[in-house]
Amino acid sequence: MIFSSYPYLIFLALTVVAFCVLENRLPGLKRTFLLLVSLVFYAWWRVDFLALLLGSTVVNFAVGAAITNRHIEGKATRGLLIAGLAFNLGLIAWFKYAGLLASSANDLLALGLPIPHLFLPLAISFFTFEQISYLVDAAGGRAPQYSFLDYALFVSFFPHLIAGPIIRHNDLIPQFGETRNRDKRSDDIAVGMTLFTIGLAKKTLIADNLAPFSDAVFAAAHHGTAVGMADAWMGTLFFAFQIYFDFSGYSDMALGSACLFGIRLPMNFNSPYKAASIIEFWRLWHISLSTFLRDYLYIPLGGNRHGQFRRYTNLFITMLLGGLWHGANWTFVIWGGLHGLYLIANHSFRALTRGFTLPQSLKPFAHAVSVFITFVAVVFAWTVFRAESFAGAARMISGLVGAGGDSRLLTFGPLAGGALVTLFALVWLAPNSMEITWLLKPALETRYRDAGLRETRWQWRPSTATAVVFGLLFVVSVMALSNLSPFIYFQF
Amino acid sequence: MQSRRYLTWFFGIAGAIVALAVAFNAIADAYIRHHRAGASVQLVSGFERVLKPAWLVSVKPSMVFIGSSRARIAFDPTLVNPEFHVASFNYGVSSASAYETRRYIQDAAAQPFVKTIFVALDAFTSGSAAQPFGGGFDELRLAVTPQGQPTPRRDLWLFTSRYLSGGALGMHALGVWLLARLGPGQLAADRPDIFTEYGRMTPAKFRHEMARRAERTMHLTDWQKGELRKSLDALCPSKAEVYFYFPPDNLAIIAHYRANDAQGFAAFKQTVRDDVIQHNAACSNKVHLFDFMIPSSITRDDAATRGHKSRYYLDPIHVRPPTGLLLLERMLLGHDTAIAKRMAG
Repeated sequence: MIFSSYPYLIFLALTVVAFCVLENRLPGLKRTFLLLVSLVFYAWWRVDFLALLLGSTVVNFAVGAAITNRHIEGKATRGLLIAGLAFNLGLIAWFKYAGLLASSANDLLALGLPIPHLFLPLAISFFTFEQISYLVDAAGGRAPQYSFLDYALFVSFFPHLIAGPIIRHNDLIPQFGETRNRDKRSDDIAVGMTLFTIGLAKKTLIADNLAPFSDAVFAAAHHGTAVGMADAWMGTLFFAFQIYFDFSGYSDMALGSACLFGIRLPMNFNSPYKAASIIEFWRLWHISLSTFLRDYLYIPLGGNRHGQFRRYTNLFITMLLGGLWHGANWTFVIWGGLHGLYLIANHSFRALTRGFTLPQSLKPFAHAVSVFITFVAVVFAWTVFRAESFAGAARMISGLVGAGGDSRLLTFGPLAGGALVTLFALVWLAPNSMEITWLLKPALETRYRDAGLRETRWQWRPSTATAVVFGLLFVVSVMALSNLSPFIYFQF
Repeated sequence: MQSRRYLTWFFGIAGAIVALAVAFNAIADAYIRHHRAGASVQLVSGFERVLKPAWLVSVKPSMVFIGSSRARIAFDPTLVNPEFHVASFNYGVSSASAYETRRYIQDAAAQPFVKTIFVALDAFTSGSAAQPFGGGFDELRLAVTPQGQPTPRRDLWLFTSRYLSGGALGMHALGVWLLARLGPGQLAADRPDIFTEYGRMTPAKFRHEMARRAERTMHLTDWQKGELRKSLDALCPSKAEVYFYFPPDNLAIIAHYRANDAQGFAAFKQTVRDDVIQHNAACSNKVHLFDFMIPSSITRDDAATRGHKSRYYLDPIHVRPPTGLLLLERMLLGHDTAIAKRMAG
């Protein structure tokens, strides 16, 4: 069940109604109910993978509980933690990376290894990371002893299960026990539906309509077409906007769905294309992943504690692995590496220019230039991310720099020009969904202290006028639903 | 309190618009189906991928035409039905890919009421593994999955496609608008200004289209060959009479195919022929194969080059619906053997 589908809308409506009834009459059954419907939601794709989700949950719960007990007793937890991490990483390595590793070993060393063709269990990257964070926190004494019901619901709560946001146990589990009165429930449903509508509109009205154009160019590049400059730029820009509206739309729908049950998930996007540096970009894009990588990979590697060289090495490794997390393809690793290099360049530049202050009058200009340069760097990296092969990426990059062919796959006319202007205006000038709906706080605040929300005049308030606007937007978005446009991040 | 009022208005507005959309689509659907010229809306390009699978189920035709715009424009049920005493349905969609063609063949073959299927073969030369279908295509509206199993929850998809999709609103609005502009007793054939598929190729149109399609080739990739074979495999257990045909593109444009990729063009025809012969040898269901892409009284039409309007063509690759009747007469009744070559079946 993808969020932008009729079955999900029906499922969500029925679940919310039943949940509200239970909340009034049998509040003790709320969590059990949510767990059951979450498992139904997951089983909708492949019933057999439910065993994997449940198995992973049971093992991690047992290991986490044992770690917590040993921690309380003052005993060593390192061995259990390593075993738990090995279990999770082994699971993800087998299902997600075995094929890539075997084929790469065959290519490099001619080993002739059999290449396993495994069906990637949905959401494995997400639920594995969430459980790793639990084990690490348990070993650090930061995880209380949870009931199995709470823990299982933390892992499988359906709004975040498939493609995040990556949530931490201590952010989610305490919310399960909260009660809400009638007014709070109405507020939750109002803001939840509004956020869900914004996300649905981003997905069905924008992202899905950009996909055919970017797909056409990247597919042609993959199949050997020497892509022309106009095609390369249009294809890449359309993809940059598609992935932003697709993934941030998905996140809005996830957050909105959770709000309907009175649950707040972490903010995942905060206008990343407004970033004036790559450092800032990673505080605004897929925030739950970047904070996870920072807290559970970069800092344990040493972070910035052992000098400049180690800091940059740690950054680079973190971004490489962050890239690999996205999928079993070396293009993702290169994309991560590229962002690692960007970050190193950005930190070096900051170190070099420390103490230098621009005159006040030049600051707006410098900011605009910085936003533009950051955007171009990000867009350039998206070509590698989106390309199906290195050859395809090389053809796209050749096209971008004017060294490609003279293909005319897309027509740059008034329609394409108008679309691009509108898209730039949306990502650079318009407030984002969090800023619009922040009055009723539909999300947990970002963990980056210096990346808060900007004030906007366009803040949503529950009123008759906004109800009409969002009610209309909801119906228009529903009418544009397509069953063949899964979210890009579902594959990760 | 404010939030409760908000929710009342939100769901009230959303519910009211949904009800209006469902009502409009239901009324428009009934209007199109019961209009004398309603079937001619199947010739029109718009959101046909959204609605045609649903229309197939409601029309319950015995004869179905599948393919790209070459098929979509060539066969008007309002002409075909009285001529051949059948209920026909035009399942052609603009820029149909090889995959879509295979899937529509599977869909038609899975319907017990479909007795005859025509497939324009040019559609197999479009699409790729990376881009297997066009915008608006939805697997779940078809009777069977790509593997031939019944599509789960298909009724829900057909309902939402027919009544709750933007595509249905667009296609219904377009259909109603076109039909409403016809005068009393008029059919689509009488108003080429409204149903432009009935237009006749002018010299200007010919020049424009020839220039636009100067790079055009006609060949099969490995992926497209695979789709052709899967289509034949899907037809093997079918009881329907099946006709494959190379559409009668104008000789002027065929010259382009030859000039741009003569080998690919020849291989395309040969591959189809070999596959059909192999299919006919292995399956009780026989596929009839006709080649209209040869020099004939239709394809030699050079009226547009002489400053006149064409009798047969809308443009160099699309024949008009009256020409479609000639193709059917040749395939079904054996008339005018000079316009086609029977290749198999």
